Amino acid sequence: MSSLEIGIWSFPILMVLIFIRIPIGLSMLITGFVGSFLIGDNWLPILAKFKNETYSTFSSYSLTIIPLFLLMGQFARLGGMSQALFKAAETWMGHKKGGVAMAAIGACAGFGAICGSSLATAATMGQVALPELKRYGYSGKLATGTLAAGGTLGILIPPSFVLVIFAILTEQNIAKLFIAALVPGLLAAVGYIIAISIYVRIYPESAGSRERAPYSERFKALLEVWPVLAIFLIVVGGIYMGIFTPTEGAAVGAAGTGILALLNGGLTKETLMDSILETAASTGMIFFIVFGASIYNGFLALSQVPQEVAEWVVMLGLNPWMILTIILIIYMVLGCVMDSLSMILLTIPIFFPIVSVLDFGLSPDEFAIWFGVLVLIVVEVGLITPPVGMNLFVINSMAKETKLSDTFRGVIPFITSDLIRTIILVIFPSITLFLMRWLY
Amino acid sequence: MNSKIKVAVEWLARTLALLGGFVLISMIIITCVSIFGRTLINIGLGPIPGDFELIEALAAFVVFAFLPWCQITRGHAAVDIFTAFLPDNFNRWIDLIAEILMGLAIFIIAWKLWDGTISKTKYGETTFILQFPIWWAYALSLSVALLGCLVAFYMIILRIIEVIYGKTEINSNSGAVH
Repeated sequence: MSSLEIGIWSFPILMVLIFIRIPIGLSMLITGFVGSFLIGDNWLPILAKFKNETYSTFSSYSLTIIPLFLLMGQFARLGGMSQALFKAAETWMGHKKGGVAMAAIGACAGFGAICGSSLATAATMGQVALPELKRYGYSGKLATGTLAAGGTLGILIPPSFVLVIFAILTEQNIAKLFIAALVPGLLAAVGYIIAISIYVRIYPESAGSRERAPYSERFKALLEVWPVLAIFLIVVGGIYMGIFTPTEGAAVGAAGTGILALLNGGLTKETLMDSILETAASTGMIFFIVFGASIYNGFLALSQVPQEVAEWVVMLGLNPWMILTIILIIYMVLGCVMDSLSMILLTIPIFFPIVSVLDFGLSPDEFAIWFGVLVLIVVEVGLITPPVGMNLFVINSMAKETKLSDTFRGVIPFITSDLIRTIILVIFPSITLFLMRWLY
Repeated sequence: MNSKIKVAVEWLARTLALLGGFVLISMIIITCVSIFGRTLINIGLGPIPGDFELIEALAAFVVFAFLPWCQITRGHAAVDIFTAFLPDNFNRWIDLIAEILMGLAIFIIAWKLWDGTISKTKYGETTFILQFPIWWAYALSLSVALLGCLVAFYMIILRIIEVIYGKTEINSNSGAVH
């Protein structure tokens, strides 16, 4: 077999391993390891690679951002900001038709600004918002759908560690990606709010009403959330202005949320240990996937598959927009069974060389950033797509009296909103890029 | 499974993870102090020299210390929708095979890290600014990687017992937040 054939065969084999529940990082590690052996017919080169590869991956300065952001998210949960955010959003929007659900979306967006993880955002905001939604007579269907979708704002609104991984894989500037993701992230929140307002007009019985809060109460509640705004501005602003590196920004953010949790009384010996253990489990998982992916991608590069496939696609002379659409659809389908990070690590080394040779009338850097934001959005749709979207299960397990099938149906308006937003962002790249162009 | 061994291995993985967490927090403090010093450079303060090197050396240790906890709590991401409908017995075999492969991978990683440490010792490579020998950092990571092998070995034994007795002992998917 030629190395190209080995490279091509590796993909179905990898998929089989993943689908029989071999951990994803391990599947990539094995496939890359055995594949590298087959290409050179020698174990020594791949074994020699291991001598420094684990250490250099695990000690990578830019990857250190991952445990830091994870710990920051854990501290953010303990900081009591979820209640403050929800209260502020509720006093401003709660009296509108469907307003308490809209407030939950607003609070998720705010929480997403200090937490880079979707499940953590869904779980944290679910705890706060689900009882309130029930109290004001919102149906379980709407309540769980809202929070599952709202959770994805955790990762859509920067800081977001999926974007960090994308930036490292494609050698892009993390700060620029964060800036570019901001407007699409806010659009997501607006889109969800519109979805709610349409939904409650079609099904008026699914939402109760809440009395209007006086302005004094509104501003008082708004003042309470200043730490969230301060931490977000320091972290993202500091990274953007070059005061510190993204990794340092994550450290500052973790320190900020940690201090907040300490002052708030949320950080005790027990919760600190729990936060560390949660961070440890997620960090271990992510780094093992990153390492497996680096071995698999090293093997792919050796087999020349990405270059050959890219050349082949160019030769076919297909419409670039069609290829982009196909790739985004592949992500949505894969997203139904796989988590976002594994998907990005698995596919970007193959897809990125293909799409980066296509002409969309953008400079290579701008294209990479636009593509990164699009990928981020479509992989996140996977988190709320039945039957396996993780956010749906997290939220449903918190709302005992709501059936899972109701949650599945409740999330449909939000998926629709996601699809419409994706189409708009594909057609108009400048929505994603204008802020970055203006700032840089 | 002898419950004393179980308690001991779980304690080990947990302690390593907590140790890694405290190192992570110390990295946060180092970084913040360094930024603080850097911004006040006008009044005679400055960044911590070699802060990047320090962070990198500690980061590798943290990740190696976190891995056993991830493994013991079944935190490694896997796709389970296609295997969910298979009989429990079949799934226990998958668990065993996955755990053996995982153990092999962890063993090779530790073995090669050992080789890496030895070659760094031989060539006496040092870091750029602080000039500390790189093998120190390697050895630090190696020590936890070896303990990780112990945990991986325990997990294989646990899976064998599960297959023999037809009972799944651990099913908690603790972490995996993303």
